[in-house]
Amino acid sequence: MSLITYREALSAALWEEMERDKEVFLVGEDIGLGGGAFYVTKGFQQHFGRERVVDAPLSEAGFTGAAIGAALAGMRPVVEYQFADFVTETLKMILDFAAGNHYRRMGPVPIVFRLPAAALVSGGPYHSQNPEIWFFGTPGLKIVAPATAYDAKGMLKQAIRDDNPVIFLEYKKFYSYRPEDLPAPLRIDVPGGDYTVPFGKARLLREGGDLTLLTFGTTVLEALEAAQVLEGEGVSVEVIDLRTLCPYDKEAILGSVKKTGRLLILHEARKRGGVGGEFAAVVAEEVFEHLDAPIRRVGAAECPVPLSPPLEKAYLPSTAQVVEALRELAAF
Amino acid sequence: MRPEVHAAASEPVRPEELAGLDFYRDLADRYLAIEGLDARWIPIHREGLRPGKETALRLHHLLSLTRAVEEVLDSAFRAGHIPGTAFFGRGNEASSVGSASCVRDEEWLVPMHRNCGAHLAKGHPPYSIMAHFFGRADGPSQGRDGNLHVGYRPKKITQLISHIGTMLPIAAGVAWSAKVRRNGQAVLTYIGDGGTSTGDFHEAMNFAAVHRLPLVVVIDNNQYAYKTPPADQYACPTLALRAPGYGVPGFLIDGTDILVVREVVSRALDRAREGGGPTLIESVTMRLGGHSVYDRYSDYADMETLKLWQEERDPVKRYDQFLVEYEVLTPGEIAASHARARKEAEEARDAALKCPFPDPGKVADGVFAE
Repeated sequence: MSLITYREALSAALWEEMERDKEVFLVGEDIGLGGGAFYVTKGFQQHFGRERVVDAPLSEAGFTGAAIGAALAGMRPVVEYQFADFVTETLKMILDFAAGNHYRRMGPVPIVFRLPAAALVSGGPYHSQNPEIWFFGTPGLKIVAPATAYDAKGMLKQAIRDDNPVIFLEYKKFYSYRPEDLPAPLRIDVPGGDYTVPFGKARLLREGGDLTLLTFGTTVLEALEAAQVLEGEGVSVEVIDLRTLCPYDKEAILGSVKKTGRLLILHEARKRGGVGGEFAAVVAEEVFEHLDAPIRRVGAAECPVPLSPPLEKAYLPSTAQVVEALRELAAF
Repeated sequence: MRPEVHAAASEPVRPEELAGLDFYRDLADRYLAIEGLDARWIPIHREGLRPGKETALRLHHLLSLTRAVEEVLDSAFRAGHIPGTAFFGRGNEASSVGSASCVRDEEWLVPMHRNCGAHLAKGHPPYSIMAHFFGRADGPSQGRDGNLHVGYRPKKITQLISHIGTMLPIAAGVAWSAKVRRNGQAVLTYIGDGGTSTGDFHEAMNFAAVHRLPLVVVIDNNQYAYKTPPADQYACPTLALRAPGYGVPGFLIDGTDILVVREVVSRALDRAREGGGPTLIESVTMRLGGHSVYDRYSDYADMETLKLWQEERDPVKRYDQFLVEYEVLTPGEIAASHARARKEAEEARDAALKCPFPDPGKVADGVFAE
């Protein structure tokens, strides 16, 4: 057991899975010789060779399709994009071919798409997006969003072993965080050996009785900060990290809302069309009678992701916004 | 490596054989004259292509069965048995059967929506194809899709999706798995003339070339992408000319001559199996029907040219004539083979029409692999 970074956890998962199963291989731009845009696969090609750590030409649709073809033939490819944003080059491959394949009775497509997602210091409109909404409405895809190093390793291993296409959202912001700088609930020892994290199970980051704060991805940080502030005001906030978006842990959401009667949904993506709308609707449909206040959401501003620092700051959901929303809900 | 582009047609090409095909000869001559290209006509002598009787019969059955299955499906559509629409490959039979009959049992085939003949040649049973078109429970997709948007895994045939071009990268990936596993297998796939305009075509060809993948790509140039003719589709003299740009050999072949198709595709597959990398083959045919059953072909096609192709370059007729001319089969044997194919297609239809529809209660089953 050790405290390692999110990036180290991802590397460990890939390395161990490649050692375990020779059908696992990696493909993407600059991942071999260059070790990847974020160095997750640094040193891999030297060890595993050019056929298992494949430097693809600059052609996302081409190498994504090729990886899907290899998966059809029984291999277990892991596709890396430099930035999640560039996955739009490949949507027909993922949404139209891979996702529907099993439903069409054409066999499994065991493949992982690694999407370095979300904002990171002035990435601008095309290096900062939250891509889950592009995939969430398409049946046949699993979507996971690990927020801790422990989950990053365990969920990536799980994704590689899953027989379905998995959209693996990994958060650039977390790559370099030193474990000792993280709030206690996110500072989790990562086993050195093999383990997996099952999909569809939320993590209770903080127990509370007055309010449920449902979140995932980068905003676990703002959620924990805000819960801390509210604690000082005598309000006990339960913070749930959903971890998997498809399938999602409905029981955890409904169970917590039944307990607290108040729900705030927080994600980095915009509210409109964001996955939070689904969770809000399910709560309204299934446990309406347990609600003591309207469901609230906090997300990014309704515009593309801007680059300039003050604009980007204004775009992203802030701890202050979360605190304010929690106060309003508590007072309702 | 010197860029190689070759044209292949049965030689000698007699003037009367070129009826309606002047463009084809013109194109070939034009690119054969491009300086620096190692380009030439490959003289394929028809006598040298003469198959043994057993092979001749097998190919004839497949060719005739392809025609029969599609004709029966066309009638079935008009009788209301096919939900949605239907696409057929009339005119493409020799290109499909001639190429796919070179693929080994253990190898993957990645067909397109007009390659019914490729399905049949690889062993997809007509009953399964019919049940699929009819939206029945016994179709391989169990009613989830239609037309030839279907694979047949027992025979290592992949499915496809409607997005044109998308399958080429996927075919490259199947070939990639063969390369990494070093199993000596090659993969055969198809794309249309329209499909070559997509970015996916470029990305896949480049990927396959860079990684020297065992992939043979047949461009079924049937001269119409839906309603768009070649002049509005590409500006190079011939699509085979794209090959040297990727650093792979290219061929321009007469896709209505099953024996020429077989000869060139089998060479390309052997080369791929031996680690020589991909080959691009432009197989020139004419789509002898509309885009789909709803399409009024005469709205946009030159019916005079079409008539010439029907008379002079019908792939089924051409093979019949060859077999008689070279005394491989008798007219009686050929007629019997046609009758057998027709009967097989009709029996498959009758059986498929008795197959139940899928259970609506299970509409959402199987979205995920468990």
